[in-house]
Amino acid sequence: MADVLRAKNLTVSSAGGIAVLRDISFAVARGEIIGLVGESGAGKSMLGRVIAANLPGGFHVSEGSLDFGGADLTRITGEARRQLLGREIAFIPQEPLTSLNPVLTIGQQFSEHLARIGGLPRSAFREHIVQALADVRLRNPEDLLQRYPFQLSGGMCQRVLIAMAFAAKPALVIADEPTTALDVSTQATVVQIMRRLQREQGTAMVFITHDLRLAARVCNRIAVLYAGEVIEEGPAGEVLEAPRHPYTRVLKAANPVLSGPRHRLRTLPDQMPTVEAFARLPGCRFATRCPVADPACAAAIPTLREIAPAHFVRCSDACGERAAALVEAEPILVPPAADKGSEPVLVLEGLSKHYPGKADWLGRRKPGTDAVKNVGLTVQRGEFIGIVGESGSGKSTLARLIAGLETPTDGRILVAGEDVTRADSKARALRLETLQMVFQDPQSALNPRRSIDHIVTQAMEPTGASRAERLERARSLLAETKLSGELLERYPAQLSGGQKQRVNIARALCVTPHLLIADEIVSGLDVSVQAQILNLLLDLRAARDLSLVLISHDLAVVRYLCSRVVIMHHGVVVEEGEVDRVFGDPQHPYTRQLIAAVPPDDLDTPWPAPVAVEPDNAEGLERASI
Amino acid sequence: MTPHGRQALERCLHSPRILVGGIILILIVIASLGAPIFAPHDPQEQDLINTLLPPMWQAGGDPSYPLGTDGLGRCILSRLLYGGRVALYVAALSSLGAMLLGTVLALLAGYFRGPVDWLISRIVEIWMAFPPVILTLLLLLALGAGVNKVVLAIVLIDWTRFCRVIRSDVMVVARKDYVAAARLVGFSHVRTLLREVLPAVAPLVLTMLSLEAGIAVVVEAIMSFVGLSVEPDVPAWGVMLADARSTMNQAPFGVVVPVLAIFLTILSFNLLGDGLRRALDPRLVTSRGRA
Ligand SMILES: Nc1ncnc2c1ncn2[C@@H]1O[C@H](COP(=O)(O)OP(=O)(O)O)[C@@H](O)[C@H]1O
Ligand code: SF4
Ligand SMILES: [Mg+2]
Repeated sequence: MADVLRAKNLTVSSAGGIAVLRDISFAVARGEIIGLVGESGAGKSMLGRVIAANLPGGFHVSEGSLDFGGADLTRITGEARRQLLGREIAFIPQEPLTSLNPVLTIGQQFSEHLARIGGLPRSAFREHIVQALADVRLRNPEDLLQRYPFQLSGGMCQRVLIAMAFAAKPALVIADEPTTALDVSTQATVVQIMRRLQREQGTAMVFITHDLRLAARVCNRIAVLYAGEVIEEGPAGEVLEAPRHPYTRVLKAANPVLSGPRHRLRTLPDQMPTVEAFARLPGCRFATRCPVADPACAAAIPTLREIAPAHFVRCSDACGERAAALVEAEPILVPPAADKGSEPVLVLEGLSKHYPGKADWLGRRKPGTDAVKNVGLTVQRGEFIGIVGESGSGKSTLARLIAGLETPTDGRILVAGEDVTRADSKARALRLETLQMVFQDPQSALNPRRSIDHIVTQAMEPTGASRAERLERARSLLAETKLSGELLERYPAQLSGGQKQRVNIARALCVTPHLLIADEIVSGLDVSVQAQILNLLLDLRAARDLSLVLISHDLAVVRYLCSRVVIMHHGVVVEEGEVDRVFGDPQHPYTRQLIAAVPPDDLDTPWPAPVAVEPDNAEGLERASI
Repeated sequence: MTPHGRQALERCLHSPRILVGGIILILIVIASLGAPIFAPHDPQEQDLINTLLPPMWQAGGDPSYPLGTDGLGRCILSRLLYGGRVALYVAALSSLGAMLLGTVLALLAGYFRGPVDWLISRIVEIWMAFPPVILTLLLLLALGAGVNKVVLAIVLIDWTRFCRVIRSDVMVVARKDYVAAARLVGFSHVRTLLREVLPAVAPLVLTMLSLEAGIAVVVEAIMSFVGLSVEPDVPAWGVMLADARSTMNQAPFGVVVPVLAIFLTILSFNLLGDGLRRALDPRLVTSRGRA
């Protein structure tokens, strides 16, 4: 089998001579998919850019080669490169919405793309495009030609981009996190479509993702990247089910699962070293975080050794003698029983929120949205409850209603037994004593102009607390959220995603709330950082008298933390119950569909299962998920 | 100082626009404020023997009248310096006034939305439907002439400019989760507006303030030219222009000098505003999220 793409000892260095990618070797054959898996900062996208011959300024290939059909991609330039890219090598991007030109219709963009590729008369374009769009299972392709990207959902845009990528029948397709921005069930459809086209055309494919489990589903082989190195490479199933490198082992154990016993997630200290820190890591780049490192590890770079047929590991402990200790699982979690005796912290009765449609200038209203419809919910003290649904299902609206950021159109909200439905000043005071919210996007949730100590003690500002009092409180809050005190005077822009999310939590804890409402707080985070945050929430429950309403689209995360779960769909609660009952024996078809969309832990179970078809929102001009 | 602030300051100090505009403006301010010191004559003092003198470096010039004299024998340089005070007075007061009114209403509209926003936006729309020149004249007819009336007229007309632009920025900021978070930890609306929203739109406000000052200088010049601004015996650039108009053929310098002064002042404000916009543009500052 001829390799379509072969990377040999590829090293990419920055202007300062630091190897951001070190000694990367892999190959992908016709009809094969290789997965490049890693957390943010591992160098996945950098590797994608080497292949695209599109390295950011200041970086250069300092060693090795990248062979594509006899040509070295690291050397070709100009016309030859343009000939290859787009025609022979195609890309599927991460952000479907921003990758399409907002001012051109789908038809115009596709035609332009076909014209660039060449080899087809203009008169045949339309028919070709309609066929290509139908191939990616988009309904009414004729009608779609006239649409603009913003009128389509993220999943539909991604399907258009997939159709465009495969239009030239390329030899190689690079997909950089193609489903990260999409809902789970959309993800299943998109992956399925991509695989089918790839199989039909016999395309070689590089699939870049942070999701080990998804990669194991999609790919034949997996290369795990850490700090710019391939630390493990092997057959997909083997890497997922029997990882050998300490990092891959931890990564697997940091991922909450949808079935089986609930072990405490394993975490790693700190985070992946940044490029600047590489220079201080002369040996194994994982050494500072590795749970089984020995002094020799920091001295010499371990080589990539073949430990089983076609399975390579870069570790001095390749046989896994020391890492065997890691196999021992973390303790199994026993969720504390909810305190049913005392007053529930939160009761929702028939809660609804209707957003009226926009009126045009004649005063005619478009039909509005029932973002939340007749939702009832009780949260006991100490209870962690999950709310699950896809984007647009009304989860965020529900959170904002509880927090008092929106007023309900109908129903009642009781906080600690008191009615706070009308968001007046009395209700505000009550809420302030009882509940706090942790926001989804730390980029938007932290004022870039405030230092961390000011952010976490923001609640003390109106009380006129002194600077010293605030500093002391800030210190204890950072300690409680396991953040270094050095961060006190930093600003949000200087923090990593995980650190920002802890600051976000610390701010909410400042007023010692009894109820936290957390809206998708781990959705943008890497697996190992997510595990840190989830464990932090568990520890907080033990340390404080805390209840949690956890909003998430990730079923496994909800299963890990919560004892009860509520499934929402189009603003309505379609199913509610104990986590194990709902996930083990779902009653509502929508719940079943959600569960089916998640790649099962067991690789022998086929996925996506036939039911896991996206509830096609082709007709709905759905907003992009927020 | 926040890293934001430090970066912004650094960019300001490296912006040629801001440096050039700032230096010209500082010189103009020093010259105008120091008019009693620098002016060789009383600006109203008439020297009927020495009318229409050319500047001192031309044949027939007199060193005691460095830029020559006008038709009544008044010292052009002295009038220029004192005229700058009027221009700067109007520029400062009216741009600050328009900014204050416009920004407060923009904050209210963009933050509270709903009926407040509806009302304010409708007023702005109706207000902006009138051509500004006609509106100024109408207002001055109603208010009567006078330099403070000119200030008032500019404020009443140009607050809409601030309001419209800043409102849309406030809307973006007010949607940030950190604004909601401030409310949830107990901030009152006023505190949230002042501590969370205003700092984020301040760069834009500053930029518009500078551009508005430039506009005010033109408006004042036009109004004093047509005699609707200062009293006729007060030296202002527009008055100088009007006075020199009839003798333009014999003594073009009487026209050139105030025109140049107006031009330089507007240029400095515009350079400054443009430079600030580029240096402080929040859209350029925001760092992108994770790759
Ligand atoms: N301020 C708003 N105005 C109008 N419609 C809204 C508003 N906020 C949310 N919606 C609509 O309410 C529905 C639920 O949205 P949301 O609560 O954000 O869902 P989720 O958090 O589950 O993604 C969506 O159809 C959304 O378009
Ligand atoms: S080489 Fe040493 S530090 Fe690196 S992963 Fe292996 S055991 Fe850990
Ligand atoms: Mg949401």
